[in-house]
Amino acid sequence: MQSSSHAAGGAALPVPRLAGHFASLEVQNHAARLGMWLFLATEILLFAGLFICYGVYRFLFPEAWAAASRSLDLTLGTINTVVLITSSLTAALAVHYAKEGKNKMVAVQIALTLVMAVGFLVIKYFEYHHKFEIGTLPGRFYSYEGIQLPGVPLYFTVYFCSTALHGLHVVIGMVVLAFSMVRALKKADFGPNNYTMVELGSMYWHLVDLVWIFLFPMLYLV
Amino acid sequence: MGIANESREEEQNMREEHHGAGRYWLIWGLLLVLTVVTVLTGRIHIPTWGLVLALVIASTKGTLVLLYFMHLIDHRGANRLVFAVSILFVLLMLAIPLVDLGTRYRGATPPGSTYSDLQALDIGADAQEGRYGGAIRKEGKMGEESGAPKQ
Repeated sequence: MQSSSHAAGGAALPVPRLAGHFASLEVQNHAARLGMWLFLATEILLFAGLFICYGVYRFLFPEAWAAASRSLDLTLGTINTVVLITSSLTAALAVHYAKEGKNKMVAVQIALTLVMAVGFLVIKYFEYHHKFEIGTLPGRFYSYEGIQLPGVPLYFTVYFCSTALHGLHVVIGMVVLAFSMVRALKKADFGPNNYTMVELGSMYWHLVDLVWIFLFPMLYLV
Repeated sequence: MGIANESREEEQNMREEHHGAGRYWLIWGLLLVLTVVTVLTGRIHIPTWGLVLALVIASTKGTLVLLYFMHLIDHRGANRLVFAVSILFVLLMLAIPLVDLGTRYRGATPPGSTYSDLQALDIGADAQEGRYGGAIRKEGKMGEESGAPKQ
């Protein structure tokens, strides 16, 4: 998108830039979107690896899995799910307004998304903090006397690996969306022909939401 | 020629892509309802089918996010193909190890291939640590069995 140094056609408008090797802007946008889908496919496979760990160890230690998942705070988990789904809505609305060229609204919606993302991380911090206090930690650091079953530390290994990787994605998504927000405020050049940046950032954010939609019932409910 | 076709097709795809914002709110509402459903059914702890039900609900929610928030419903061709293939491989990746694991019987497993045979791998940990859900801590509890936690 930005790699090209020349604007094809030499039009007065600086945005959106069309790289010389694309037939048209639509094709260029299509290529950007396809690249994003390919990247998201690798992300899905990355998380799938953790889901397989979950599946295998759940199969080996069903009692430990049931007991350990009940030790999590369902209320906090549910609040976090609602927060993330709502942040996905505002991210989708940001793309909607970007297409209409309402840059102020784009910035507002992304700001709301970022606020909810921070909320998600704060709630996650409290959950982690509680686990460190009572000692439901992975591997040999597990020291919680309330649940003593073989395999419980493995549950918390899977729990911490998957939620921490997800949390990292939340942070990355926040950075990506923050760039779009700054651009919407400073350059205010999003419009019907130029919204790919918001769209791809928002797609990343929806992936974060998507992963949580699966992690939440797997870790907290069943 | 190919590029021109792609361009025209893409234009056609884009034309119907812009909808009112109402659709997003509707999907948001549906996602919240499904979240409530999954929490309520999850709290009952239905034996056997609880996991299946939770995964069906999660898949439904995921499909809504993919189709409407991520606009997969407006996209055609390559984007859908990429996604479908990745889901196919996730399912294969899940199914094959689980089928392998589920069809083993103990007599066929060599020593060291089950978790209870393993020694703690952490450098600096001693052999018993963490074997029984971490009941045995380093200080002074070494000889005891894991079952009864000390008050």
